[in-house]
Formats: sequence, structure tokens, C-alpha cells
Amino acid sequence: MAGIEIRNLRAAYDKADVLHDVSLDVAPGKITCLLGSNGAGKSTLIRAILGLTPPNAGTIKLEGEDITGLPTHKVIARGIAAIPEGRRMFPKMSVTENLRLGAYQVRDEALIRQRLEKVFTLFPRLAERRDQLAGTMSGGEQAMVSIGRGLMGGPKILLIDEPSLGLSPLYVKENFRIIQGIRDEGITVFLVEQNVRQTLAISDYGYVLSGGKLVAQGAAADLASDEAVHEAYFG
Amino acid sequence: MDFGLIAQYLANGILLGTMYALVAVGFTLFFGVLDVIKFSHGDVLMLGTFIGFTAWLGLEAIGIVNPWIQLVGVLLCSLAGTALIGAAIANWLILPLKKAPQLNTLLITLMLGTAIREAVRLFYPNGSNPKAFPALLPDASVEIGSFALRADSVILVISGLALIGALNLVINRTRLGLAIRAVAQDEETARTMGINYTLVVLATFAIGSGVAAFAGIMNGLYYNEINFGMGLILGLIGFSAAIIGGLGNLYGAILGGFLFAGLQVIGAALLPFASAYKDVFAFAVVIALMAWKPTGLIPERSSDRV
Ligand SMILES: Nc1ncnc2c1ncn2[C@@H]1O[C@H](COP(=O)(O)OP(=O)(O)O)[C@@H](O)[C@H]1O
Ligand SMILES: [Mg+2]
Repeated sequence: MAGIEIRNLRAAYDKADVLHDVSLDVAPGKITCLLGSNGAGKSTLIRAILGLTPPNAGTIKLEGEDITGLPTHKVIARGIAAIPEGRRMFPKMSVTENLRLGAYQVRDEALIRQRLEKVFTLFPRLAERRDQLAGTMSGGEQAMVSIGRGLMGGPKILLIDEPSLGLSPLYVKENFRIIQGIRDEGITVFLVEQNVRQTLAISDYGYVLSGGKLVAQGAAADLASDEAVHEAYFG
Repeated sequence: MDFGLIAQYLANGILLGTMYALVAVGFTLFFGVLDVIKFSHGDVLMLGTFIGFTAWLGLEAIGIVNPWIQLVGVLLCSLAGTALIGAAIANWLILPLKKAPQLNTLLITLMLGTAIREAVRLFYPNGSNPKAFPALLPDASVEIGSFALRADSVILVISGLALIGALNLVINRTRLGLAIRAVAQDEETARTMGINYTLVVLATFAIGSGVAAFAGIMNGLYYNEINFGMGLILGLIGFSAAIIGGLGNLYGAILGGFLFAGLQVIGAALLPFASAYKDVFAFAVVIALMAWKPTGLIPERSSDRV
């Protein structure tokens, strides 16, 4: 089991501060969500964990070990995978190549094939289109590739940034069901979303970020009825 | 015009095209992974050819005179040395400038190229004069009518094309190639997949530079002469070829290389009284082509790299 522990994290782009003293825990084996409106700093937090935007201050620990500021490939080597905001396909590559890139650090070809089959079972539509260029697929199909790619490395922790962004309600519902399934397999999930109701419905614990500061936290069920959450969005 | 002459032009064009393609793919690979134009590419090629030449002098000095062994030694030293130089330039000059405006990288590699060229001219023993590059390939030839097919040209073309084929396999069929293409299409997502970005960039510059050194050795073996300025024109032609093909596209670079050689040959054939103008002709057509298709013959969309 794995968990992330973030303490007093500060991050900035050039001179503009984005995250101020953020501390949170991602509990092992659970879905922890981070809610917040556009520009709150949610993606920046994910980028900090991944080492894409190294933090200015604070610590990030994975299973008790400090990973603050490690280069991204070393963070991934510790068992983290990410489903980035906007899905981020490699557009000129086939579905299979995109999925294989998710398992880039896996050297065991048999294991890669086994995971490919698992993704194709999860998304039969991708099996039909395994040779299609990812850039030519619909948003919903790209979301499947993106989720599948996140699972290919066999992560202990999965960071998911706004999986429902730009998807039709049907796909959104399906995605949330799949994320629940991922958690049920024992993978720790850190889910970043704007979609409050559906996210809290599948999460175990939640945080609310506003203007780069945490303004609320609690068990998902409690947050659903919390005034602060609503204020962070509509206040 | 008789058959012999046409065949001669054709053979020459294929040889030059192979050589130019080998230079052009480097520009395309570098642009793919880093969005930079590395103007020192031609001079690095020249340096690599001089490394090969020096290796030959060394082999002669220790009494190894078998031309095949010499050839292997020359190629090994030249390609490995140039690959290392390419990776070193990427590591200490180009990667540190990643956040700077692209124009700065362009300017600095332009200056680096000049520095390399001048250094060879000034510090290589008698460097300002051309060097006689040894003819290490068999000098046999087959007469077909009035056309003499030289064995060395055939060997050079076949090995050059084989190298282009091998490069294609590396890019499209290997794990490293997958990483290079991923970085070219979306650097940040490639990192997120666990790809060691710096390592991939260094490997790309090593490969591109080594392949260019092969073109330099080809050039030496074919003309039996090398000089400190050879990288300037080869670099410029390779760059033009990459641009004509639509910078960032491997097949475009190969096509561009052959197209430029074709233009030179046509120029030489049309202006037999003044074949020195063949480059003027070829570059003039390139300018016209660029005016007609500003993004190259195989244009890249922003996501269309490598
Ligand atoms: N690459 C960047 N350069 C400069 N500012 C950025 C960059 N990315 C995001 N920002 C700024 O950081 C703030 C937080 O952005 P982000 O983390 O993407 O928020 P969220 O994911 O919650 O919508 C915003 O004000 C945004 O404009
Ligand atoms: Mg975001």
C-alpha cells in the first residue's frame, strides 16, 4: 500500500505564486479528491508531485520517502502514474503505441502484453481500434486511451487530472465507474476534479483548493453537505 | 545526350542524394526533440571526417595497411567520436539554452560552427590546406557502353542507404525510437510516461551527429579530398534538404536530400559549359520551392514530428 504526504508546499511559475502552504495526505488504497474551480492550482499540485514544476518549498513524500524535486522519470519509477489534464495523446502514434508508452519503464514484454490485454478487456473499443492513430479518435475514445495508458505501468498510485473535462455526461459517468474499479483493485487514486457531486460520490476523502490555498477538507460524505465547498465554487 | 552521360549524372545524383539525406536527417531529428536548428551540424560533420582522417594516419603510422581494416577503424573512430561530440554539444550548449529564445540557440550554434571550422584550420597540422583522403575502397569499375560504374560509388550508396534504413528501423521499431518520437510529439507527456528526457535528447544528438559523420567519410572517400570548409556547404545543403522536406519529418528530409542532389545534377546537365553554376541553380530552385510551399513539401502540423 502506498500513500502521498504533502507538507507546506509552495509552487510558482516564474514570479506568480500559485500554491501557498498546501498540506495534504493521499491515503493508501483510497480515492482522495482535490476539488477547486479553474485556476485554483490543482494541476500545478499534480505537476509538483510529478516533478514537472518543482516546488519552491515544502516536501512531498511517497511511502515515507522524500521525492521532492526528483526528475519526473524517477518519480514514475517509484510507482506513480498520471492521467494528465486534456488526455494528452501522442497524436501521430497508434493506440497500441500510446498504451506501450504508459509501460515505458516496464522491460518485461510478457507483462506488457498481459497489461495490454487487460486494457483491451476494460475498453473493447480500443481493441478494435488498436492500430488507429490516437490523434484521429474522438474525445471519449482518447479518454479511454489516456486511462489505459495510466494503468499500463502497473502503478501503486494514480494521479488523475480532470478526467471528465470536455466529455459527454455518459462518458463522464462511465469514467467515474472505472476509477472506482481502479481503486477496488488496490490502486491509490488522487483525483483532481471540478465536478463536485459525482467526484464526492466515488471519493473516500476530499480537499478543496481555492486561490492556491486549502479551504476545506473532510470525508467525502461530509464535504458534500459542507458550505465551504459551495462557497469555494460559487462564493 | 548519350546514354553514358545520363547514367553518369544519375549515378552521381544518387550518391549525392544519399549523402545529403544523411546530413538532413540530423537537422530533422534535432528539430524534432528540441525545436532547435543546430547550425554547427555541418562543421561537426567536418570535425568527424578529420577524426576519421587522423585515425587513418594513426593506423598507417603503426603499420596497419589493409584497406578494409583501415576503413573499419576510420568509421569506428569517426562515428563514435562525432556521436560523443554531438551529445556533448547538446548537454553543455543546447540543453542549457532550452528556455532561451530559439534565436539564441541558432546564433550560438552558428558561432560554435565557426569556432570549430577555424580551430581545425588553425590547429590541425597544415589545416588550412586540403588533405588527400585515402581511397580505401576498391577502384575497380564496370564499363557499360561509355559509362563507367565505379565500385566505390556502389559500395558508398549501398552502405549509405542501409544506414538510412537502419535509422528508420531505430526510430520506428525500437524502444529508444518510441521515446524519441514521444519526446518530439509532446515533451511533457513523454516525461510523464517515465521517459528520461535528457538521456533521449543526448542519444538523439549522438545518433544524428554520427550519421552525419558517415556522410563526411563518404564525401572523403568519393572525392579523395577533405578540407576545413567542407562542412559549411554540406551543412547548408543538408539544412535546405530538411527544410524542403518539411522540417521535422524523417521521410521529408530523405526526399529533400535526393531532390537537392537531383537539382544539382540537372543544373550540371543543363549548364555543361558552366557546371560550377549547378549550386546556384539548385539553391535558386530551392528558393522558388520555398516561396511556393513555405512549410515544405511534406508540411508538418505542430504535432507531426519525426
Ligand atoms: N505554465 C504556466 N505558466 C504560468 N502560469 C501558469 C502556468 N500554468 C498555470 N499557470 C497559472 O497558475 C494558476 C493555477 O493553474 P492550474 O494549476 O492549471 O489550475 P487548475 O488546474 O486548478 O485549473 C493559474 O492562475 C494559471 O494561470
Ligand atoms: Mg487544471
